[in-house]
Amino acid sequence: MSKSTNLVLLIDDEPKIRRFIRAGFELHGGFTVQEAEDAAEGLRAATFSAPDLVILDLALPDRRGTEVLELIRSWSNVPIIVLSVEANEEEKVRLFEAGADDYVVKPFGIAELIARSQAALRRYFKSPNENPVVVAGPLSIDLVNRTVLLNNNQIKLTRKQYRLLHVLASHVGLVVTHDHLLEEIWSGSVRKNIQYLRILVRDLRQIIEADPNHPRLLITESGVGYRLQSRFEEVSAGSSVMRLD
Amino acid sequence: MPFGNERKSVELQIPIFQWFAKASTAFTENKPGYAALTGEEFPLHRFLLANALPLTKSMLGVGLATAGLLLIERFSPANLVPIVYLIPVIVAATRWGTWAAIAAAITSAAAADFFFYPPFYSFRLDDPQAIVDLLLFLVVALVSGELAARLRSETESLRQREQELQYLYEFSRRLAACFTVSDLISAIQNYLSGTLGRPTAFFFATSDKNFQPEPAGAVPLTVQEHAASMTRKNGLRADTIRDGATKSVWLLRSVTSDDTTHGVIAVNIGSDSRAVIDASTRRVEAILAEASLTLQRLDIGGAMEEAALRLKDQLLRDAFHGNLSHELRSPLAAIRGSASVLESMPAIRNEERAYSLVEAVTDEVERLDGFIGNLLNATRVGASDVRPHLACADPRDIMNAAIRRKSRQLAAHNIRIDFDDDLPMINVDSALVEEACGQLLENAAKYSPSGSTILVNTRAAQGRLILSISDQGVGITPDEQQHLGRRSFRSLRHQASVPGSGLGFWIASTFIKANEGSIEIVSGSQGQGTTASIILPEAQIEEDQSAGSADE
Repeated sequence: MSKSTNLVLLIDDEPKIRRFIRAGFELHGGFTVQEAEDAAEGLRAATFSAPDLVILDLALPDRRGTEVLELIRSWSNVPIIVLSVEANEEEKVRLFEAGADDYVVKPFGIAELIARSQAALRRYFKSPNENPVVVAGPLSIDLVNRTVLLNNNQIKLTRKQYRLLHVLASHVGLVVTHDHLLEEIWSGSVRKNIQYLRILVRDLRQIIEADPNHPRLLITESGVGYRLQSRFEEVSAGSSVMRLD
Repeated sequence: MPFGNERKSVELQIPIFQWFAKASTAFTENKPGYAALTGEEFPLHRFLLANALPLTKSMLGVGLATAGLLLIERFSPANLVPIVYLIPVIVAATRWGTWAAIAAAITSAAAADFFFYPPFYSFRLDDPQAIVDLLLFLVVALVSGELAARLRSETESLRQREQELQYLYEFSRRLAACFTVSDLISAIQNYLSGTLGRPTAFFFATSDKNFQPEPAGAVPLTVQEHAASMTRKNGLRADTIRDGATKSVWLLRSVTSDDTTHGVIAVNIGSDSRAVIDASTRRVEAILAEASLTLQRLDIGGAMEEAALRLKDQLLRDAFHGNLSHELRSPLAAIRGSASVLESMPAIRNEERAYSLVEAVTDEVERLDGFIGNLLNATRVGASDVRPHLACADPRDIMNAAIRRKSRQLAAHNIRIDFDDDLPMINVDSALVEEACGQLLENAAKYSPSGSTILVNTRAAQGRLILSISDQGVGITPDEQQHLGRRSFRSLRHQASVPGSGLGFWIASTFIKANEGSIEIVSGSQGQGTTASIILPEAQIEEDQSAGSADE
């Protein structure tokens, strides 16, 4: 991240939710939080305060959250993380199409929100002359030289496998939708065919995952897309299950 | 509407020439009354009653023109006579119609003869040129009067048609908002009295074949009685009666759909001539025919009831899906979030008792959230609102996601996951299948002792994919197995000891059915554990697809 403190604009009409998010970000350090209780105030703050990150609740009293999202996107590239009680997959896909960088479904823990926020900020503030190597667990991907190291050993990938990894790595920690991936990797009529993507992911997991049956790097976001995990979740369900096994 | 126009134009043509012929021989007086006397078959008194004012007015116009001409004549002897007399004719035609125009034309010709053609102050004409002049004037005046009058009547009928369209539009708007038969009836009633400008009344047929008296007291007793007898006799569809007291004619028509009579509509047509009554009757009948078609199409009773039911169901579901779930989940989000912040604070982390309390809060919130999710799913299933969005999915992803989501509920068990190599893709709604797997995992954890193993096995067999979850729990008796698919079924053995709503398996089996799969339960006997298997068809994968990733 390029700044010492990042300004987070928090647009949510529920004061108790704002309170814990503010507390969480301030405790974590490196953030200052500005609150807005409705869409009008939020849009004003987004214009005048130039926040580094927007956290937007979808259920606002005066305007639909998706509208606010589109309005902010019409003039700004600021990372936006959406909070929603709706876990509907189509809804999520629509949010990504409208320009959201990530979503968190209520109820959620603060650690999850902070992790997503940091991933979005990292992507936003990545400058071209910064280190072009993305590290995800045992994997490091050099986006300029197009080399991939797994546990410090170079691995060989097909062009499509590399392309998939490249797109995910440049959004490390964030969800990339199926449509986005299909568009980046294939062209023409194949684009709509999600089967190809599923099989490509399966092949890539065989190479990069320690246990392809329980992927910890290349995570499926059901119905939405894929995410390259930047670090292993500490209390990830997968790991706890593995431990018990 | 079309009848009216045709009739009018016929009326226009014939009397004009009749009149013209008679008037040209016999106009010796300015008063049109005398002239009109000649039209024997025509209902003269009625005509005069209706036209007295316009005729007098047009005559007055001619008088004004004469006075003006006399004044002008005094200063300059310009020959303005025929042109000035055209003014009152055209004014009369545009304002009051043909008859007034004819009257004005004839009076004008007479006045011109009397005042401006020698010998003056006499109707006699010596100069043949003057005779031709006057005749020409008369022809021009009649023709232009007729044209102006026709223009007027056309504008009039356009305006009327517009009004009728307006009424029709309102009628259809009201029809769209009809939820009961009585709404529909009152829409018809409104429309009829609006378009015809006549009082209308509706007599509802009640179930005992009586009619409800209309509150409007404008309907004469004889008409009421007649309508009552019509609602009783199903066969009689139409009747016309003349009310003795008010001398007005009432049309009675029954409104029916299929074989039920909804009631009788009574329209007061007034006491006009035969022709007017006939025209109105035709219009009423046309409207009623349309209305009864609408009635039939709506199949009122059934449709209304169904709509009301559906509305209620929908309202309940919408309430739960929209507001209620939001209202329930928002406080949970605040609790869960606050607990997570507390959890991250060093002061709490280092104090084990406080930390375990915070963890308990988080656990319980997640359980509550799971219940709400189940209720939401149950309303979806109950309202048959499960529409799967099928897409190609990797079964491993689905199972891993389900296990991850239920990690808290599974924390006390050993989970052994066993995926076959070379699993096929499946074409399912992964969210629904994930939910079903989650439900079965949760059940497995609930009904088997802590520390025991839950085995998750995923394999392909004969074009099908089998996701099975085996526990080492208490098992299911054959009797319980029979009731499993039912909503809210909970075995008596567990009701006291194991928490639950009994919705889980019902939701799981509905979701799997929606994906064209099935769930099989195998339980040896009590104490030997249970295996629940989700069986789904394999996706049909095109041959060339593997090339998509393997090339290059």
